[in-house]
Amino acid sequence: MAEPGAALRVDGDVVPAGAPGETLLDVLRASGSFAAKQACGRGECGACTVLVGDRAVMSCTMLAALVTDEVTTAAGLGDAAADLRAAFADHAAFQCGFCTPGQVVRAEAVLRESVDRSRDEVVREMSGNLCRCTGYRQIVDAVCAVAQTRQCSREAAR
Amino acid sequence: MSHGAGAIGQSVRPLDWEEKTSGTARYAADEPPSGTLVARVLRSPLPHAEIKHLDVSAALRVPGVHAVVTAADFPAGRLYEHSGGPYSDRPPLAVDRVLYVGHEVAAVAADSATAADEAIRRIVVRYRRRKAVLTVPDALAPGAPQLHRREAGPNVAVATAEHWGDIDLAETNAVVSAEGTFRYPRVNHACMEPNTTIAWWHDERLEMWTSSQAPHFVVHELAALFGLDLDQVVCRDVSVGGGFGSKSKISEHEALAAALSMKCGRPVLLELSRAEEFAFTKPRHAFTTKLTAAADADGRLCLLDAVIDVDNGAYNHYGPSVMRAGIKQLGSMYRPDAVRWDARLVDTNLVPGGQFRGYGQPQTAIGLETLMDELAEKCGQDPIDFRISNSGLPDTTQLSGSQVGSNRLRECLAQVRDRIGWDAKRGPERRPYRGVGVSSGMHASGSYAYPGGNTSAAGVEVRTTGEVVVRFGGADAGTGQRTILGQIAADVLGVPMDRVGVIMADWDETPPDMGAWSSRGTHMGGHAVRQSAEAMAARLCELGAEKLGTEDVTLADGDVVSDADRVAIADLVDLADESADGALRIDTEYVEPKMQPYWTGIERPNISATYAYAAHAIEVEVDPGTGVIRVLHYAAVHDIGKAINPALVEGQIIGGAVQGLGAALGEKLHYEGGRLVNAGYVHYPLPRATTVPSIDVALVEGPEPAGPFNAKSVGEIALIPAAPALLNAVYDATGIRFRELPLTPDVVLAALQERDGVTPRQHHLARRPGRWQIGLFRALYPYGIHLLLDRWGTRFARRRTPRAVERVALPATVAEAVAELASPDATVIGGGTDVLVQRDQELLFPTVLVGTGAIASMRAIDEEPGGAWRIGAAVTLAELASWAGTRVPMVAEAVATIASAQIREVATVAGNLGQEKRCWFFRNGFDCYKRGGVSCPCYAVEGDHRLHHAAIGGHRCQAVTPSDLATVFDALGAEVVLTGPSGSRRVSITGLYAGPGELDLRTGELVEAIVLPASALSARGAFVKLQQWDGDFALVSLAASASIGDDRRWTAARYVFGGLAPKPWQPPRLTRALAGTVPTADAVAAVLDQDLSWEAHPLPGNRWKLDAAVGLARQATEQLLLGRTRDEEWR
Ligand code: FES
Ligand code: FES
Repeated sequence: MAEPGAALRVDGDVVPAGAPGETLLDVLRASGSFAAKQACGRGECGACTVLVGDRAVMSCTMLAALVTDEVTTAAGLGDAAADLRAAFADHAAFQCGFCTPGQVVRAEAVLRESVDRSRDEVVREMSGNLCRCTGYRQIVDAVCAVAQTRQCSREAAR
Repeated sequence: MSHGAGAIGQSVRPLDWEEKTSGTARYAADEPPSGTLVARVLRSPLPHAEIKHLDVSAALRVPGVHAVVTAADFPAGRLYEHSGGPYSDRPPLAVDRVLYVGHEVAAVAADSATAADEAIRRIVVRYRRRKAVLTVPDALAPGAPQLHRREAGPNVAVATAEHWGDIDLAETNAVVSAEGTFRYPRVNHACMEPNTTIAWWHDERLEMWTSSQAPHFVVHELAALFGLDLDQVVCRDVSVGGGFGSKSKISEHEALAAALSMKCGRPVLLELSRAEEFAFTKPRHAFTTKLTAAADADGRLCLLDAVIDVDNGAYNHYGPSVMRAGIKQLGSMYRPDAVRWDARLVDTNLVPGGQFRGYGQPQTAIGLETLMDELAEKCGQDPIDFRISNSGLPDTTQLSGSQVGSNRLRECLAQVRDRIGWDAKRGPERRPYRGVGVSSGMHASGSYAYPGGNTSAAGVEVRTTGEVVVRFGGADAGTGQRTILGQIAADVLGVPMDRVGVIMADWDETPPDMGAWSSRGTHMGGHAVRQSAEAMAARLCELGAEKLGTEDVTLADGDVVSDADRVAIADLVDLADESADGALRIDTEYVEPKMQPYWTGIERPNISATYAYAAHAIEVEVDPGTGVIRVLHYAAVHDIGKAINPALVEGQIIGGAVQGLGAALGEKLHYEGGRLVNAGYVHYPLPRATTVPSIDVALVEGPEPAGPFNAKSVGEIALIPAAPALLNAVYDATGIRFRELPLTPDVVLAALQERDGVTPRQHHLARRPGRWQIGLFRALYPYGIHLLLDRWGTRFARRRTPRAVERVALPATVAEAVAELASPDATVIGGGTDVLVQRDQELLFPTVLVGTGAIASMRAIDEEPGGAWRIGAAVTLAELASWAGTRVPMVAEAVATIASAQIREVATVAGNLGQEKRCWFFRNGFDCYKRGGVSCPCYAVEGDHRLHHAAIGGHRCQAVTPSDLATVFDALGAEVVLTGPSGSRRVSITGLYAGPGELDLRTGELVEAIVLPASALSARGAFVKLQQWDGDFALVSLAASASIGDDRRWTAARYVFGGLAPKPWQPPRLTRALAGTVPTADAVAAVLDQDLSWEAHPLPGNRWKLDAAVGLARQATEQLLLGRTRDEEWR
């Protein structure tokens, strides 16, 4: 039988995995990593989205004990997502910003999977992330813009 | 980066963009001071009761508890001030009686959430239930219990019956009229950040980190409640996760956190859960507006006559002014001869209403703008032309007293016509069930609603480092005010934006300001910053002139510039005598000269300085088969004066419009016995990215001398026209006038059937003895059974005691897993996306969690001999979808409709099949039959069962199996492999379930795999699903599969419905009838209709689901015939 891990790797740091029943989000916030937000705690809104490996997941309904891959929050995305974050700023893709770390992480996962994305696809892929402020258009604008620039730079590099 | 003079009108990046996009912005709950305690609130479970006994001593003895507060901790008679005077009626905690479900009775602070929860459970309260009034008519009925002593009448908090203008003239002129009764429900703000506060009493000061739009009201109310000086309370500058009005005044949790901290001297964090947020924060006031509108022979609006009932909830808060704002709008948009109203604000035993973006106007706008359309039609005019000709005019005083400067409503209406393609879409080429609708909107920019409302203060400071700092005492809850104020200072001082910083909210650092409410952020704050910046500019020029030796200087690029020379403003700071600590600071207070107050006897005061206008137009398509409304296009044109930051302005408009659409299409708070039923996002259809169109925004700019840089407000206005434009578009598409929100599919479908004169389906219950018992039971529910079970039966309800998880096991083989499951306290966990939620909902407290992710065989998808496929139960939905993509497209299509991409990454096949029922009573804490046991009622029988309950085969519980995979797998003839201590067995999908969302497992058994027969891969399939938002559970779904021969005949056809019955349901006659035929959609619908007549036993409110099922069956049949998928069809 495999043993659940005693520690997690988060944004390059090692943090204790917490009590057996704790969620990944609880563990993150208890360890001082506040980028992932709790807005529902029930997997319904996306504010707590983080990467586990390269999969975007809801950290509030994920048992920390089951996490083995490296965890990346919005604060740990680093330069890889600098263009995405700038696009969010340029398109006014956030207002209160509470959903934004989750949106950015989700968008980064979507674009890592493929930059060849139609607008409809972006809309569908992002639809698990609620935003009460923006009405979504500007978020979709930002993600589409980055998809395009990343695709161009990839083609240029070929 | 844009340069100074010229920052106005630029879409500069929000000042806090780096923090906000990287997750490093600090919200109230982030980085709490060390030693912060966790607080919890004890709330009333009853809508109206006396508190006979309250004992907190056991709570105080719970280890880790530091403070408990009750009403006794506040001086007797102390009330929140709110809007003051006679309106002030609420004590900080319930005194001797509770007036609504959720009313705060006590609060505790402890070292941990567990200890605080435990302490709450130990508080002993004995209530004596009193009759509750849960609706306005109940509250006004003779003999109704009275909540407060009110002068205006029993349960009438405020009544007003007056008019503006010349009623006689209006009535003489009236030739055509239209009328209707319009209902706008209670709607929640649903800010993404739940209300959160950290309060810390130390060094004789109360330090607050709180999610507030307006520190002013927090500071003033707390000071008054606790008898402190104003400077003993300070709110720190934190990011605020949305407000929309809800955080524009003090909230109860702020006072409770403060009281707890003052008792124990430790910082106290009080964070509402999402369920509390939905249930216990103050929603939009529900209005019932009976409105009559009349026009003269030329199509000129002459009279608006309104009778308005506003549901106040249990306390006043700002209900009186919300009602007044709703009335005021009637005299502010058009030019009638007279407006008359008779309005009452009525106390009910529901959570009090509060301030919500739009503030009373959305509620009356649905009536006003619907009737404008009806009058236009009666007058033979185009709705846009009719509005243009009746529009209020610039530079006039309107009936309401508004002294309007600029008004470009007519331009907005003209532009919106083009942008939506109005003429073409209403022309002869129009498509059936498509329609376009329009609405006007208006809103003031700030209001003189409270003393001081016409003033705003700001500081501007230049530092020797060259930085410019704006100091402003309001808070930015996401409106972009921080950036706008920075832009104004940058523009006036001629400095680049990247040298500007803005400090807000913290009165240790800023002059006090009333904050952002009533769309006053840009107008009041903008003027204040402009004024201080102008004073600073003058001072800098003075200093610069002295330094440069010439009077002829200007500011540019951070310098004072003359013809010959320049000096950096940073270098001027130390030249000023008044500079201190390396900074030159000027604070000024702006007093708005155009505003008039409500309370000084001016009959029709001009409460605002400028007025913004807008026109929205919407194109919809209505699905006549299911009643679903899709918004195809949305155009919004706004008279904004000047957009200081166009991208942020657009954001406010789009965001507002989408909130308005949410309320129009689905958002509504549903109560049962005074208690909220839909206390979670899953049951409250907030707009999602997929449910809203890409909104097209256009700005109409032009002079507005009273606005800062010509700017007018934009915060609230965009929400107002959304719902009326949608109502008008739906009328255009269907010919039906809906007068109540929201337009959920049940409402639309029922109205379409009524329009078409469809006779309701008969269910032949007299000839179905198997349904007699349930029929009788249901029939008796309203005659005592419900009351008996609800009042008495629930006293014996089973409650699960919270237990912590002790161990997580990760077996490597199925046998090991089965061994672990021998313990009754063990539960299988796949992705955890339901198990952890059920724990949160107090439905399940396992102490051992058995993960299946390490069992290789359960994580695999393998082909079996004979062409069948075995899908491991721990395969995730994402993995299943990518496997199924080309092999069994229907499975992939179904998975794509489940929850969100993030959930699909981890949720497993077995988890989806085994998830608990999603009945909103069961999930949201009602002691129902399934949660509490046999002595408890099924709340769906009497409660709201339109959407989520069974219309076929319901028994004592009316819930359905929520799993979409169950529906699809059943249609494909899948089998389930169950493995337990005595080996493996195979069951069908229907054999898998014992009841709704309940697996029929033996002790120690788990779901090991699903086996799809070879036929599943060769058959054609179609999956269609009716849901409120993309990812929602099925209201009704249908998976259909058929093998279609070369002769086009169908063999082995299976139609399986989800969401209709406790388990996936196969219509028996249809299955028999389809075999060997070449069906048509009509033929399928006809046979299904028979099945539904003979098999269904709907509840009164969910008959429509059967009609929707027929609509879905038509769609699925057509897809099977054409081999089309849902997605293709949508393109
Ligand atoms: S907080 Fe995790 S999904 Fe909402
Ligand atoms: S920006 Fe406020 S919730 Fe998305």
